[in-house]
Amino acid sequence: MGFNLSNIDLGNESAFVVEIGRLAISGRPVADTLQNILEKCVNVCSAVRGFLAIVDHDRGELDVRYTCGEGWSEEKRLGRLKVSEETGGGITSHVAATGIIYNAPDVTIDPYYIRSFDDVKSELAVPLVDGDQRTRGVINIQSVKHSNFTSDHERFVLALARLAVMAMVLADHRSRETALVQIGKELNGFTDISAIPQKVLDVAAEALSFEDCSLFLVDRTTGKLVLKASRGPLKEMIGKAAYELGEGLTGWIAQNKQSIRVINPSSDSRWRGLHQELPNVEDGAFMGVPIVGRNDLLGVLRVQRRKSPYNWFRNDFTEDEERILSTIAGQLAVALENARLVDQLVKTERLAAWGEMSARSAHMIGNRVFAIKGDVNEIEFLLNSGDVEPQDAWGLLESIKKGIFLLEEILNEFREFVKATQVELVEADINLLVKETIAETFPKRSATKLRLDLDESLPHICADTTKLKRCFSELLENALSFQPEGGEVVVSTSIADSRSKKWLKPSQRSGKYVAVRFADTGPGVKSENKPKIFNPFYTSRAKGMGLGLSIVKGIVDAHNGTIYESGKAGVGAIFTLLLPCKCEAPRRKRVNTEE
Amino acid sequence: MCKILVIDDEEAVRSAVKRRLERDNYEVDTAETQAEGIEAINTHNPPYDVVVTDMVMESPTSGLEVLQTALASDIFTELIVLTAYGNVGNAVECMKRGAFDYVEKNIPGVDVFELLSLKVQQALERRKVSLATLRRIEHFTNKK
Repeated sequence: MGFNLSNIDLGNESAFVVEIGRLAISGRPVADTLQNILEKCVNVCSAVRGFLAIVDHDRGELDVRYTCGEGWSEEKRLGRLKVSEETGGGITSHVAATGIIYNAPDVTIDPYYIRSFDDVKSELAVPLVDGDQRTRGVINIQSVKHSNFTSDHERFVLALARLAVMAMVLADHRSRETALVQIGKELNGFTDISAIPQKVLDVAAEALSFEDCSLFLVDRTTGKLVLKASRGPLKEMIGKAAYELGEGLTGWIAQNKQSIRVINPSSDSRWRGLHQELPNVEDGAFMGVPIVGRNDLLGVLRVQRRKSPYNWFRNDFTEDEERILSTIAGQLAVALENARLVDQLVKTERLAAWGEMSARSAHMIGNRVFAIKGDVNEIEFLLNSGDVEPQDAWGLLESIKKGIFLLEEILNEFREFVKATQVELVEADINLLVKETIAETFPKRSATKLRLDLDESLPHICADTTKLKRCFSELLENALSFQPEGGEVVVSTSIADSRSKKWLKPSQRSGKYVAVRFADTGPGVKSENKPKIFNPFYTSRAKGMGLGLSIVKGIVDAHNGTIYESGKAGVGAIFTLLLPCKCEAPRRKRVNTEE
Repeated sequence: MCKILVIDDEEAVRSAVKRRLERDNYEVDTAETQAEGIEAINTHNPPYDVVVTDMVMESPTSGLEVLQTALASDIFTELIVLTAYGNVGNAVECMKRGAFDYVEKNIPGVDVFELLSLKVQQALERRKVSLATLRRIEHFTNKK
């Protein structure tokens, strides 16, 4: 690190401390700081070598992470680790267990010392203890002289040990901050409620070392807490493991809306041990926080930590860790409520469309039936008059037939409108869907020219292939019907750029989207009509009920995408579909937003 | 011959009603929109004897507006409102303001065309009585 320490005596120790302090808070990797601290300890105290061991919280072991001085080999480094595995054996383990500095002026008569280097005569071990009185690591320096380490040395190493802890705590805070921001971002981008829980646990586990954690959410119909995501062995039980309110520690948290932090949870009177991440013997500590929404409890987020084989290793969760878990629970609550709101909004919009839909179709069906009854009335009259001209009767029959066909068309559109939001998603190649739709629906001899501009490198998306092809064919038919004299239709696919993503809801914008564009040279859409074109019954074509584009919109919405029109009246219409790339797995999944 | 105007935005409805009423030997005109209907009422001379109008066209109260125009043009013009089945609120309102009657387009099991034919016939009778009364009053006042 650019320090030359060989000529500096103890009088300058304060200058070192300041220097290292700066390094500790500089934001450089914590490993640099710790290595530097160890080197200074060794050099300033005239030690022959030294090491810095870090407590591995997952396994409850000491892990020699940094070394300095003569005689080190990979074997030696791992050898130290083995030695420290024996409880109470070795000076380093003793210091880690007690949290108290230990100076051995003559190792040959020391009760804790275990020999590992032949030349060692004296040894100094200083614990790295954090604000929670928890040992984070040990600095161990060794000398080839008896009684090498003075009280000045002890003071100096202690000072640097405190800086080392500070650097470690700061680094922890930084990584936690980064993780929390990352969780926040991830949650913001998710409108798919089912994907939220696992995502949060993944980030929490990776960045915050909450390895064995599980998320339970309140099921609105049964009122039970149901496991929604887990990192541990409980993963197999997702959707199955459940607690009643008040049952076990998890149920207690939900019932009381309070956090729990305990050591040896199995000895707690509230403990039931129904669904555990760890076997009983390994279960060392438990922490759980409620996930509380604006009005009600949404679920419980809990973490379990393994019991350490070492008596001195404290594996309870700290207040700091509880704060972090609570923060995650808070973010989760907001995200879950947001997702539910979006879901409700979609349903409300759809419901309003439904209301209009029913009124309009009743009106149209009523009129058709009225006209058919008119024809029937006329046929009856002709038959009664006994003077029926066959062509008159045929004409009336033809009219009745036409009326019935129209009724069927209305029925069909109605059905499609209802089913638009029920999609079955599978992994699909969007370009292939476009090509298939064109092959199936674009007329072979058309006055309209068709041009394809497909980005063949597009990722696959999750799509209901039949429904999406229905969207494409509707848009193609639209383009054709509005330019009967001929013209051009350009169908293009690409990754959605930031300009087109402005059409997405803010919460959707962080994701990656595929854009499918249908541009024609027809009359286009007048700006005053643009807000209405996706409404049901808006039509400037004679056919059907005018549900076409609203069906398309329903299908695209069900894919968590969006559709917009951005052409100019008089130049042509440009319809763009944006569909999310996020395709978690090629599994089948049913999304049903209609109830 | 009695003159009737049929106003409805659905071609199939207009032609079916026209055909049925022509069978009764009325002379039937049709209009596709509320505006077209109002225009026809204002310009037709002598005034139509009966106007048959859809209740809901451009607006849910299209029938009321047609009624106002018809009564302003000839106070004794009879108006029959066609409504969707079960949606009679506005039609009743029309009757309160002087319409002759309303006919629901889709009464299950009923041949509404015969019903309509009957209503038109009754409307014409009422018009005839009204006009006769008017003439008598005129006659009486002239005598004085």
